[in-house]
Amino acid sequence: MSWWNFGRKKIDHADFVDAFLLKNQKPIPAIRSIAQLEFTVFDTETTGLSTKDDYILSFGAIKIRNQAIQIETALELYPNSPNSGQNTAAIHGLIQRENQLSIRQFAEQSLSYFGNSVLVAHHIGFDTEMMQKACKPFGLERLPNPMIDTMSFAIRLEHGPHADRSQYNPEHYGLDELCARYNIITEDRHTAAGDAFLTAQLFLKLLKLAAAKGIQNFGQLIR
Amino acid sequence: MSNVIVHRVAEFLKRFPPFSFLSKEVLEKVAASVQVRYLEKGDILFRQGQPAEPHFYILKEGAIVLTESLQNHEEIRDQCDEGDVFGVLALLGKRPYVLSAKVDENSLVYAIPVAIFEEILEHNSRVALYFAAGFASGQVVIRQDLSEGQKARGAFKNESRDHSLMIFSDKSEIKFSEKVLTCSPEQSIQQAAALMAEKQVSSIVVCREDLKPLGIITDKDLRSKVVAKGIPLETPSSEIMSAPVLTMRKDASFSDLYLTMIKNRLHHLILTEDGTDQSQVCGILSDHDVLLSMGNSPAVLIHGLMNTLDLKEMRLIRDQAEQMLGYYLENELTMDFVASVMTEVNDIIIKQALRIAENSLSDEDPALKKIPFCFLSLGSEGREEQLLRTDQDNALVYEDVPEALAEQAHAYFLKLGTAMVEVLLACGFASCPGDIMASNPKWVQPMSKWKGYFSEWIIRPTEEAILSATIFFDFRPIAGNLGLGETLSLHIYEEIQKKKIFLNFLAKNALMNPPPLGFFKGFVVEKSGEHENEFDIKSRAMMPLADLARLLVLSHGVIGVNNTFKRFDRLAELEPNYEALFKQAAKAYEILMRTRALEGLGNESSGRFIKPESLGKLERQLLKNTFSPITELQSIVKVRFQLDYFQQ
Repeated sequence: MSWWNFGRKKIDHADFVDAFLLKNQKPIPAIRSIAQLEFTVFDTETTGLSTKDDYILSFGAIKIRNQAIQIETALELYPNSPNSGQNTAAIHGLIQRENQLSIRQFAEQSLSYFGNSVLVAHHIGFDTEMMQKACKPFGLERLPNPMIDTMSFAIRLEHGPHADRSQYNPEHYGLDELCARYNIITEDRHTAAGDAFLTAQLFLKLLKLAAAKGIQNFGQLIR
Repeated sequence: MSNVIVHRVAEFLKRFPPFSFLSKEVLEKVAASVQVRYLEKGDILFRQGQPAEPHFYILKEGAIVLTESLQNHEEIRDQCDEGDVFGVLALLGKRPYVLSAKVDENSLVYAIPVAIFEEILEHNSRVALYFAAGFASGQVVIRQDLSEGQKARGAFKNESRDHSLMIFSDKSEIKFSEKVLTCSPEQSIQQAAALMAEKQVSSIVVCREDLKPLGIITDKDLRSKVVAKGIPLETPSSEIMSAPVLTMRKDASFSDLYLTMIKNRLHHLILTEDGTDQSQVCGILSDHDVLLSMGNSPAVLIHGLMNTLDLKEMRLIRDQAEQMLGYYLENELTMDFVASVMTEVNDIIIKQALRIAENSLSDEDPALKKIPFCFLSLGSEGREEQLLRTDQDNALVYEDVPEALAEQAHAYFLKLGTAMVEVLLACGFASCPGDIMASNPKWVQPMSKWKGYFSEWIIRPTEEAILSATIFFDFRPIAGNLGLGETLSLHIYEEIQKKKIFLNFLAKNALMNPPPLGFFKGFVVEKSGEHENEFDIKSRAMMPLADLARLLVLSHGVIGVNNTFKRFDRLAELEPNYEALFKQAAKAYEILMRTRALEGLGNESSGRFIKPESLGKLERQLLKNTFSPITELQSIVKVRFQLDYFQQ
């Protein structure tokens, strides 16, 4: 496959990457109210925790518009492993899915889905790096979207904006712990889509908490 | 598209009506269109008067109250919990909201686009019925057509359990006639008919000496092929017989036999040695035999009762009648029919009880035995509404006797009444906790004393007197000299005419128990906002309706109509301007009777106390819908009898 090209230092932007970057050129005004924002809540399931050696097995996402989770926007994508052709399916004991996508298709579909929305995920740093790694061959260095990590967001809301590590136990901010605390029934845990849906419900509840603390617009939210 | 998420939403929806009526494909489509919203306590989802949104809602978790703003205050109309569907005016009328939805506990709400449901309403009659019957929350503001609700419940129920199969669960042996009446093909129609008449059977099998069946002639054949066509009576029977005949082995299972009859529309099925028509006839099974085997025929039970004075057997038959009752209720037969059948069964038991009691007193003075008397049923049996064997309430009245005989007569009738009550106890009727029974000397009295009782209650309506009135005014003469009962009715009527103020006291009593607001989670919600975890269907819904019906028919001077729903039907005729309301009330009472009886049968209890959590969403809503005619009637009575100005 031509895109998997290690030899070249400078990679040409694929058309869909250009379109994606163009869409993200114009920043969201700080005074835009939260109700007007579009959020993409997503999660990735990967082969492991190393952003260097591991890769994405599945991607699940859902959008929040008008402060409501829009079920019709729910998305699941299953990218091929980057070294497919070799015997990875057998190695990982994975069953090949019918709707498996090439990495290019995956990058194109996920970026077009992101658009210029605000990205939301639990431990978003990791998911973003994995996404960037998948999109890199097509010329995307960095996801330009505004991002919210539900873990940091929860800490900020519960302990104030200047909380330091001495004030909270990070173990209380895992997705399972937060769901338990915010009365969200954890179903379909550890599937990308299931975790994205849980994160979206958590985020919806956190937004209410934020509103009560006076966080009303994009500027205050993204800080 | 994400299957995991849509599937998760669908899994929730399908637990609740009307989503439970959707096919998998349609449900997935609906689930995929949902919007999930999160609201906090104090938030308002929609406001009264606000134009309808293009969504209706189902509560995923939390609690939402639907309120109506009146002139100077706000009243709670409904309380929604998990799985409640609300805000449906958007779907049905596109009218502005008539209620506001306020968030009572932090809530997750699924908004469902109206557009996608409109199509479903058109194509799925059960979903349409769900909304038409007013099962969604907050829909009860406008008076509901309860009959729609009942119809809907019937329609929904059949999905879950197919009760037609219930009859096969009874493993009881099937009884069929082994003596089969036969005639030869050459014998004339008249000869065949004469044989049938002689043996009093409805069919005759045509066969030769080898007893292999050739055909069958039934009552119906004689009617339609002979009499209607006017063919000569000398015609050989082979000409009109139905042939060839369908045959089965006699040891075939009941369900096989019965299904063969149903599938082939047979009233009679011939049984042969090897199951074919090439072997000897050895029996015949009629649909009457089938009914007998099922014990589900009132005629059979009544016949059985009338031919026994054996207490054990009477009890057994009454138990069987209860099975039949369950079957009738499950199959939504009309309450008029069900109540009539059960009343007939109960009445016959009482009549037999009298025969048993009289037999036991055969040695008594013949002069005492000649005194006319009448056994009165009171309360629910008096109203022809006793489905389960809850408390027996009864009394005995006898004709006035000369002073010299008074003591002896009282002793004699007390023995008679006590003996009857014992029979009823043996048949499973519970004892009256207030001891209002014909075994209590106070309630076994001559006519003049009874007239005195009633006059006293009417003239001096103390609290106790009113309580007695609610039980005794529904008396019905069952056994003995029924004319005595009529004399007593007439006396009551005349007394009330003289002292109309009595009705105001009765009216006051009828308003004592307003129905609750509805149900929420495991609780009964009172209008005051209080919660109870048990619903007393008798005192909170049935008694208020029975009291209202009694009061209103008495105020119209109607006597002789005892049954509550028939009383409402009569009131609908008498007051055409309230016809719809009275019809609703009658229907509500029928629904309550059915609900209570089913509850009682299910739990082997009196069915009086219902745990809200044991009710399904539909049952709760149907029950709740019965409260609105009660409330409405109570407010009419309040005005009509000027109870705001009426002080005791």
